[in-house]
Amino acid sequence: MNSNSKNRIFGIPNRYYVLLFLILLVLAQIFFPPVRPHVQLPAEPILHYPVFQGAVTGQFFWTNTLTAMVIADILLVLMALTVRRVVSKGEMVPKGITGAVEAILEMIHNLTETTAGKWTKAIFPFFATITLLVLVVNWMELIPGVDSIGFLEQPRPGELGFPIKPVTSNIYTLYQPKGAVQTIQAGDRYTLVPFVRVLSTDLNFTVALALISVVMTQVIGLRALGPSYLTKYFNVKTLFSRPIFGVIDFGVGLLEIISEFSKILSFSFRLFGNIFAGSVLLFVMGTLLPILQSPFLLLEFFVGLIQAVVFGMLTMVFMSLATIGHGDHEEGHAS
Amino acid sequence: MDAAAAKLIGAGLAMIGTIGAGAGIGIVVNGAVQGMARNPDASGNVQVNMILGIAFAEAVAIYCLVVALLILFVF
Repeated sequence: MNSNSKNRIFGIPNRYYVLLFLILLVLAQIFFPPVRPHVQLPAEPILHYPVFQGAVTGQFFWTNTLTAMVIADILLVLMALTVRRVVSKGEMVPKGITGAVEAILEMIHNLTETTAGKWTKAIFPFFATITLLVLVVNWMELIPGVDSIGFLEQPRPGELGFPIKPVTSNIYTLYQPKGAVQTIQAGDRYTLVPFVRVLSTDLNFTVALALISVVMTQVIGLRALGPSYLTKYFNVKTLFSRPIFGVIDFGVGLLEIISEFSKILSFSFRLFGNIFAGSVLLFVMGTLLPILQSPFLLLEFFVGLIQAVVFGMLTMVFMSLATIGHGDHEEGHAS
Repeated sequence: MDAAAAKLIGAGLAMIGTIGAGAGIGIVVNGAVQGMARNPDASGNVQVNMILGIAFAEAVAIYCLVVALLILFVF
């Protein structure tokens, strides 16, 4: 009986809600068929005037990915406050969101402990923060309305736009006209600038995270090994003792610097590419097979989860590698 | 050939690079599954490393995808 009551919302079994949403999906598809949106790489500003103007930053516009950032931050802070309230009550068996957070954090902590050993305390916060932030940000892609509710604007150059029709008195929707779009006059065609766009589809965010990850790796390496960490890059240990191979070792050390920069590139493009391609996939599938978009939402659910965990886990692995000496000593920290 | 056609062809050519990533992911999973079949107790550890390896191999495919998307939608 207990499990039965859990599967109800307002006394109605959950399966009827699923049926209701399926019917709504079909109806919405019949009355307001989706149009193929313009794929836009840089984030669009929602306000047309700069929020502030700095000497270094130039004009700073409020973009729709920035809105997503604020929403994700608020969600994370609310989650943290909820967990804190429940934990300070002293319940030993957490339920709901607290239980989920505890499970995630325990998994992350165990993973860090098996890899990083005694540096777990320094590395765990980065792993946990990056994973939780990227997870929340990626899963915002699945919320209806993200990427699809926004201002109507004149199409940008190189873009056709679509005609609009009213849904209610002052809410409009784009629709695909019977003939070619070009037959509608240019002034009557509009394009959508969404209020919220998934944050990971903005390169600024992913590059920022990658920079934090790589720079803090160097900081943790310096903390763990002291100045001898720098011999990883400027390998002068064998420069004089082994005449020719020393020079080769020095060159290999210099190559390590390049590999750090390529880490920034691969970190940022991995997250950006996966999530951007995912949202383009959702756009296109929503246009081609409007009713069968749901399996792709499930796919994106997993892609978002995997990318969040991979970003955090790679950060953790690089950091724990940095705490291990580069030479032939101090090995055995890794599992 | 006009610029629009060249764009489409270029985007398609850019995606050829994913061949390598596909083969790489296949090899990674092959090794991981064999390891897990021989030693099921280690499957948790193997799985974590397998996902890391897949992520590395997939990054190359994602570079191709980003290049293709850039060709299609930016230039």
